[in-house]
Amino acid sequence: MGRFAQSKMAMACAVFGSGALLLTGCGAGDGSDGDAVTIDYLHRLPDGEGMTPVADIVAKWNADHPDIQVEATKFDGDASELALKLETDVNAGTGPCLAQVGYGEVPDLYVKGLLQDVRSEADRYKDNYSAGAYSLMNVGNTVVGLPQDTGPLVYYYNETAFEQLGVEVPTTMDELSEIAATAAAQEQYAAAFTPDEAQYWLSGQAAAAGDNWFTPNGEEWIVDTGGAGTQVVASFWQELIDDDEVLVQDRWGDGFTQALTDGSLIGHVGAAWEAGFLLDPLDGTDAEGQWRVAQLPAFGETGMTGPDGGSGVAVMKDCEYTEEAMAFNDWFNTQVDDLATQGLVVAATGAPETPEKMTRQFGGQDVFEEMNIANAALSPDFVYVPGFASLSAMNSTAAEAGDGSVPVSDIFDTARSTSVEALDNLGIAVADS
Amino acid sequence: MTLSATTTTKKPRPRRGKAGPGFPPPSIGPSPIARTLGVLVLVGACLYFLLPVFWLVVASTKNNADLASTFGLWFADFNLDQNYDSLMRWTQGLFWRWVANSVLYSGVAGVLGTLLAVMAGYGIAKFEFPGKKVFVGAIMGGLLLPVALLTVPLYIEFDALGLTNTMWAIIIPSAASPFGVFLGIVFAKTAVPTEIIEAARIDGASEARIFFTIVLRLLGPAMVTIFLFIFVATWNNFLLPLLMVSSPELKPVTLGLYGMMSYFSPDKGAVMLGALLGIVPLVVLFFTLQRYWRSGLAAGAVKG
Amino acid sequence: MPLTLEAKNKSPRRSVRSGRKGLTGFLFLLPFLVLFVVVFLIPIIVSIRSALFAQVASGGGLYGGGELVDQFVGLDNLVAAATNGAFWKGMGRVALFGLVQIPLMIGSGLFLALLLDSFIVRRVAFFRLAFFLPYAVPGVIAAMMWAYLYTPQLSPFLEYLPDGTNFMAPNVIILSMANMTTWTFTGYNMLIFLAALQAIPRELYEAAAMDGATGFQVATRIKIPLMRGAALLAILLSIIGTVQLFNEPVIMQSVNQWMGNDYTPMMLAYNSLMGQVTPSGSGPASAISLLMAIIAGALAAIYAFAQRQKGE
Repeated sequence: MGRFAQSKMAMACAVFGSGALLLTGCGAGDGSDGDAVTIDYLHRLPDGEGMTPVADIVAKWNADHPDIQVEATKFDGDASELALKLETDVNAGTGPCLAQVGYGEVPDLYVKGLLQDVRSEADRYKDNYSAGAYSLMNVGNTVVGLPQDTGPLVYYYNETAFEQLGVEVPTTMDELSEIAATAAAQEQYAAAFTPDEAQYWLSGQAAAAGDNWFTPNGEEWIVDTGGAGTQVVASFWQELIDDDEVLVQDRWGDGFTQALTDGSLIGHVGAAWEAGFLLDPLDGTDAEGQWRVAQLPAFGETGMTGPDGGSGVAVMKDCEYTEEAMAFNDWFNTQVDDLATQGLVVAATGAPETPEKMTRQFGGQDVFEEMNIANAALSPDFVYVPGFASLSAMNSTAAEAGDGSVPVSDIFDTARSTSVEALDNLGIAVADS
Repeated sequence: MTLSATTTTKKPRPRRGKAGPGFPPPSIGPSPIARTLGVLVLVGACLYFLLPVFWLVVASTKNNADLASTFGLWFADFNLDQNYDSLMRWTQGLFWRWVANSVLYSGVAGVLGTLLAVMAGYGIAKFEFPGKKVFVGAIMGGLLLPVALLTVPLYIEFDALGLTNTMWAIIIPSAASPFGVFLGIVFAKTAVPTEIIEAARIDGASEARIFFTIVLRLLGPAMVTIFLFIFVATWNNFLLPLLMVSSPELKPVTLGLYGMMSYFSPDKGAVMLGALLGIVPLVVLFFTLQRYWRSGLAAGAVKG
Repeated sequence: MPLTLEAKNKSPRRSVRSGRKGLTGFLFLLPFLVLFVVVFLIPIIVSIRSALFAQVASGGGLYGGGELVDQFVGLDNLVAAATNGAFWKGMGRVALFGLVQIPLMIGSGLFLALLLDSFIVRRVAFFRLAFFLPYAVPGVIAAMMWAYLYTPQLSPFLEYLPDGTNFMAPNVIILSMANMTTWTFTGYNMLIFLAALQAIPRELYEAAAMDGATGFQVATRIKIPLMRGAALLAILLSIIGTVQLFNEPVIMQSVNQWMGNDYTPMMLAYNSLMGQVTPSGSGPASAISLLMAIIAGALAAIYAFAQRQKGE
C-alpha cells in the first residue's frame, strides 16, 4: 500500500513537474536576443481566403527592422471576448504591446486602465489618417493609438433593379423614402432595418444627422439621445416600418441573405466594411455585378456620414517600447493595399487599389474611391462613452420596434437610460438633463 | 501506473460461451409485436436525431448562396471540393494539425480524467474515511458554479503557473470532471460487489492490485461512458482554449472553426465541413470502444 | 444481491482494518482532489471573493482617471442580483423550460436505453452512436444549424407543419429551445442509463426468466429500480444545467434580438462579465453566478431529499 501511495505521488509530480519545466522554458524565451525589441501584437483580422495574412505583412516589417521584431497573434473570439482577455492579461502584467480595439470600446478600455497615452508619438503620424478616424482613437486629450479601418455609413443598391424601377440613386433620406415606396409596390425593398446592428448602426446615423449623443461638460457627461438629428432618423425608419416598405431582418441572420439572393432586397444602408463580403452570396448568380455603392443619403443638411464600427490598434498599458511600437503601428496601418485585401476600408489616407474581387462584384466600380469620400465625410465630433458596450440593449428594443410593438424612438430612450446607468455604475458623473 | 491501468482495461473481456451478450434467456426476449413496435420507435428516434445531422452533411456541400436559396434537406450544386479548399485556405493549411491537436487533448484528458474519476468514485463508494461527506459536497459544489465564469480565474491561475499557451492549459482543466466522479460513485456502488474485493483481500492482493486488475474491469462500461463524455466535452470546449492558447500550432479544431465564424460573412459550408470532418475521429473512436462496452458483471466476469 | 453482501461484511475483521482502509479510500480520492483544488476550488474562491467587490473608476472626470479600482462592497452585488427583476424573470423562464424539458429528456433517454438493452435490435452500436451524435456537434455549428432550421423563410420543415407555425414566436421559443436541448442531450443521458444497465448482473434476468417474468416485467421490476442512482444523478445534472441554460438561448438570441442580453440568468451573468449589461465587471457577474449556484444547489438538494424520502 505504501508503494501504491508513493507512485500516485510520483504521477502527480510528473504532471505538475512538466508544468514547472514549461514555466522555466517560457521564462527564458523573452527579450534575451541581444538588442532586439520584441513587440507583441494581438489582432482579430480575418486572415481568410485570398487575403494577405497579417503574418506575411508583419514578416516584411521584421525583415527590414531586425532591431524591432513584431510577433503578431490572431485572436479567434469576438470583440467582447478580446476585451475580456486584454483586461485579464493587462491586470496580470502579461498584456501584449499592441492590440486591435473597436472604436466604441476605446473609452471603456481606457477607463479600465488598459491603454497608454501615446499622444506625443501619435501626433507625428496624425496626417497619415483621416481626421474623423484619428479622433476615434482619442480619449479626451489622450491619444491611445492609431486607427486601422473605418465604417462610415454608405448606401448599397442594385443598379439594375433601380433602372427597372426607373429610380435614381437617392441623395437624401426623403428620396430614399420615395424609392422605398416605389420598390415596395413591386415587392422589393430599397432598405433593410437590422435590429442586431442597431447599437452602432443607429448611433452612426444619429451622428450623420449631426447629433452628438455624449458631450463633455466640465467633469461630467451630458447624455442626449433625443436631439433633432436623432428624431429625423427615428421618424425615417418609423415611416418605412409603418408602411411595410422596409425589410425587417437581422443583418447576420439567414433571412437577410435570402432576401439578397432572391432579389427582394435592392438597397441597404450599411457600413463601409460590409463591401468586403456583402455581395459574396451573389457570386455566380445573375445578380453578380449589379450592385453599386454610393454615399449615405443625407439626413438633413449636414453633408456628413457617421461611424458604424471599425477599429484601431491601441498601445496597451504594459508596453515598454512605445516609440518602437508606434513606429510599427503607423507602418502597418499604412500598408493600405495589403490591409485592403483583408476587406478593410483603411483609415489611412490615400485610397488603396480596389481589389479584383470587389471590382467584379460592384460591376467595375472603384469602390475604394467612393469609400474614401465617405471616410472624409465622417462626423469628427461624435464620441463614445465608457460603458458604450452595454448599449447593445438597443438591439432588443430595435427588434420590438421592427415588429411594430414599440415606436422606433423607444430605441433611443433605451440608449439614454442604459448609458446613464452604465456611467453611474462606473462611478462617472452624468449631468442631469 | 497509468500505463498498467490502460493495458489492464484493454484486455479483451472474457467470452462467456455461447450465451454471450445479445442472447437473452428465451422467455424474456421480446414478442413479435413488441419487437416491431420497438424497432419503429428506434427508427423514429434515429430520424429525429439524424435529420439535423443530415442537414449538416448537405449544407457542407453548398456555398452560401445555395444555403440561403435551396431546399435545406437536399443537395444543390455540389461544392464539396470548393468548400474543402476554402477550409484549407481559411485555416492556413493547419486544419488537420488542429484536428490532431484536438485528438491529443481530448484523448489525454479523457484517459487521465476517467482514471482519476473512477478512482475517486471507487474510493468514495467503497471506503469509509473521515471527511468523506465534506469532499463529496465540495465536488458537488464544483458542478454548481457555471464553468464559463470560472474560466477567467482559471486562466489567471494558469498564467501565474506559467502554463498558458501550452497543451496542459487545456488538458489539465478538461481532465477534472466532477460529474465523472459522481458517475464513478454510482457505478462503483452497483457494479463492484464488496464480496469480490473482500475475497481478493483474503487472497493477499494489495489494494492497488485489486483496483487495477478487478475493479477497473468491472467498471468497463462506466469508464467508456465517462471517457466519451470528457472526450467530447474537451473537443467542443472553445472558451477555455480561446483564453489559454494563442499559438496557431496549439489550437484545437473547434477554436479554429470558431475563429472562422467570428468574422462577418463566414464561408458557412466550409465551417460545417470542418465540423463534420472533426466528428469523424469521434465516430471511429465510438466503434473502437465498442468492445469495452459490454464488460464487467454483465459479461460474466464473476460467477454469482 | 447487494443486501446479502452487506450482511456478510459485518465481520469483526472489518473494524480492525478500518483505519488502514480509511486511508486507502482517501488515497484513491486524492489525485482527483488535487486536480479539483487547482481547476475548481481556487477559481471558485477567487469568484466568491470578487463577488464582494465592485469595479469603479478611481479618479473623477470624464474618463474616471483612467483606472478602475476594486471597491469592497460586501453583499451589495448579491443584493443587487437578488433584487434584479431581469434575474428573476430569467429564472422563471428556465424554470418553465426545465419543467417541460427535463422529464421529456430523461424519460426518452431512459426509454431508449431500455429498448436498446432489451434485445430488440442487433445493431445496438449503430443506434447508440446515432443517438449520441448530436452531443458531438460543436455549439458553434449547432448555432448555424438551428438558426437555419428555425428561420421561417428557410426551414425545410415548415411546409409539413400547420400554417402559421413559427418556431421563433415569443410564446413558442422556449419549446424550440427545449427541443434543441432534448436533441443534444437525450443520447448523453441514454449512455448513462445504458452503462447502469450493463452493471446489472445477467443472472438476475435468468432468475426472472425462470420465474416466468416477461421482458416488460424485467424492465419495470428489475432494471428501472436498479437504475435509480443513475437516474437521480442524471436529473440532478439536468436541473443544474437548466439553471445555467446558456447555449440555446444565445443561439436563439443571435437571430431574435428581442430576447435581449438577459433572457436567462446565465446570459445575464456572462453579459455582465463581457460589459454588455450594466453593472458590468467580474463583481456583478460573480454575484449573479453565485446566486444561481445557491438556487441550483437548493433545487438539487430538495430533489435528492424528496427521492430519498420516497425511497424509504
